[in-house]
Amino acid sequence: MNKIVRNLFILILILVFTIAFSSSYLSLSMDNLAYVLVIGIDKGKDNNLEVSFQFSTTSKSTESGSTEKTPTVMDTVTAPSFSTAVNLMDSYIGKELNLSHCKVIIFSEELAQEGISEEIYTLINDTQIRPSANIVVSKCNAKFYMEQTSPELENLISKYYEIFTNSSKYTGLKPNATIGDFFNAIICKTCEPVAILGGISTEKPENQGNNHIQENYNVKSNQTPIEGENGSENIGIAAFKDDKLVGELCALETTTYLALHNRVDRFLISIPDPDDTNGYIDIYLYPNKSTKVDIDTSTTSPFIKVKSAFIGRIYSMTNSSQYLEPELLKNISETCNKYLESVFSDYLYKTSKEFKSDINGFGKHALGNFFTTQEYENYNWCDNFQNAFFEVEVNTSIKSSMLLTET
Amino acid sequence: MTKSKIGTMEAIMLVLTIIITHTISSLPREILVFTKSATILNLIFVSILAILFSYLIVRLMKNFGGCDIIDISEYLGGKVLKNIVGIIFILYFLISSSILLRNFCESIKIIYYPMTNILFIIALFILATCTANRLDFNASLKTNLLIVPLVLASIVFLFFANMNKFVPERAFPIFGDGLFNTFVLGLGNLAAFGGISFLYFLPPYLKKPEKMKKIALLSIAISAIYLILCVATLLFMFPFVMNSNEITPLYNATRYIEFGSFFQRLESIFLLIWILAYACYLSITSKFAMNILKKLTNIENKKPLIDIFGLLIFAIALVPKNYALSDKFETEIYPYLVIGITFILSFSILLLANLMKKKVKKLNLNSQ
Repeated sequence: MNKIVRNLFILILILVFTIAFSSSYLSLSMDNLAYVLVIGIDKGKDNNLEVSFQFSTTSKSTESGSTEKTPTVMDTVTAPSFSTAVNLMDSYIGKELNLSHCKVIIFSEELAQEGISEEIYTLINDTQIRPSANIVVSKCNAKFYMEQTSPELENLISKYYEIFTNSSKYTGLKPNATIGDFFNAIICKTCEPVAILGGISTEKPENQGNNHIQENYNVKSNQTPIEGENGSENIGIAAFKDDKLVGELCALETTTYLALHNRVDRFLISIPDPDDTNGYIDIYLYPNKSTKVDIDTSTTSPFIKVKSAFIGRIYSMTNSSQYLEPELLKNISETCNKYLESVFSDYLYKTSKEFKSDINGFGKHALGNFFTTQEYENYNWCDNFQNAFFEVEVNTSIKSSMLLTET
Repeated sequence: MTKSKIGTMEAIMLVLTIIITHTISSLPREILVFTKSATILNLIFVSILAILFSYLIVRLMKNFGGCDIIDISEYLGGKVLKNIVGIIFILYFLISSSILLRNFCESIKIIYYPMTNILFIIALFILATCTANRLDFNASLKTNLLIVPLVLASIVFLFFANMNKFVPERAFPIFGDGLFNTFVLGLGNLAAFGGISFLYFLPPYLKKPEKMKKIALLSIAISAIYLILCVATLLFMFPFVMNSNEITPLYNATRYIEFGSFFQRLESIFLLIWILAYACYLSITSKFAMNILKKLTNIENKKPLIDIFGLLIFAIALVPKNYALSDKFETEIYPYLVIGITFILSFSILLLANLMKKKVKKLNLNSQ
């Protein structure tokens, strides 16, 4: 009898817990969810937000068995806040929006200039959003950017968005800016946030036709000389001060930013040829050591010393290249040093004087100069950064070219 | 004296259980909010004090053979003090574990079961606790012996997997809010070593009582390293831990672990390990609470107490109306309870009992 009662009790318990937890499992069922891949947020009329969601749909197989490009669906809703937009969209599509597979969040330039902290805080508060989701600031409308994005080599758009920042490691032309880092930087008192600068190639650069090789390094999204099926392009950085967009960095400045942060494995630059006043040499640079930063905070104008070291391999060859001569390699190294010092210096003064924003996170290096948090806060780093002076030292060692050494 | 005896490793893991569960909840955040960038310095200082303190406890308890704090209270103040101290410890174990359970269940609800009533999530833990308590005393301790190293390993993994996202400069300014805050007010962080409270109850259970010193020192030293790892992970990763409040900050750190595009979303594994650790913690604290009650009331069989204690934990966990209240208890009241009960009340009893014993010895010698 006792055993029967015990078994009955266990059965009732199992039943009760199954019913209690079923509501949570049902809400997470694939049939009830719509997986959002990309979120685009634009400024709408009357202080509203125009929020676009891109969803994935199931892939179709052709008769031959090959998989076609997976179609995507995009819906837009105008609402006073992001959370209201999600709620309205839930009702419209008849499924619950699930943001756990969202790879990219795109903000229009117009909205970013007014501040996006409210949206960032709301997104971070959501348990589904991954901290690794990328943040893009689009030079055009976010919705238009999403419509124009059509990966050429990937069938799945989610796959494209997952890997589209990978090239930053070997080109240095865009950062891997995530929402987790963005949120950290908004709150942090020693740095400012950045995002990937995105755009649609609608306008060609003014200097197109000019063969000046270095002009190619001054482009940014919206102005690149690229033509292809994929309408969107992501080159450059959107720099923020607190939560407001304050400026943009071009390709070369983005490479500088990544090199200073030790976030690039290698990058290509063109430096003036020491032997030919009109010529340029393309060099692959590999960071040799982590960038060293020393900061003197004895006055209200911080003095910042930056020291970087690179190893170089010459990439461009002509029919008369002689890259086995130590003297020539030394000359190229010195030219490279001067060129990089000038580029780094221009970039640093741009962030300090023009943007007034410490996107490089130099503040963290200044922390060691103070004994207490109060002392650091009294120094007012964020405001004093605009008075900063910089000294850049670059030490490049050009080793050789690659397969060919002499022609 | 009890029939079930605890081995040295089991005892060490037992002391670690308390710190582990509190660390998964909100302990590192509370420590960071209080001492900011000086937290690691403060923890080193506080850990040294905790080790010294536990050494003192062992030294003082040595004079009482295989007695625990309840027996020592009886020696010092008779049945009255014994009952008072016993009831205080029962309430301390029950209330602190209930509220901790509530906070953890709130996190689980937010993360995985948004549509399920929290009552059922808490009930699952209570069910596990009651089932475990029906088994032998050593059953929970042996399970704990398996789970605690797993949690320790998960925290070491968390630290190293996130290392590439660390900003070690966040350990500066070295003195945080100042020397006074770090070394004087920061003494409040001793509350993190709540596991010391188990040291007062261990002697009667130990297989080898002579290893008590080793158990005490090793468990507090491991607790200190574990705590420093947890706090360093949060301090070096997130600037916001010091400025804003977040449910289970360590869970947030687990969300950042990624190895390429294949190994992502490992947080579920961490949560599973932590759930097991919580179940072990609840089982152990309620068992200790039952043993104290058994000692106070001379009950022969403690089996009828199992469900009563389970229901008590369940009821107390449901008392706070919302997370704000349960979090308030854990962050504002619990540290004072630990310092008051573990570091002041119990230690004073131990100290006074030793003085009394010396006095009695002296009197005996004089009379002879």
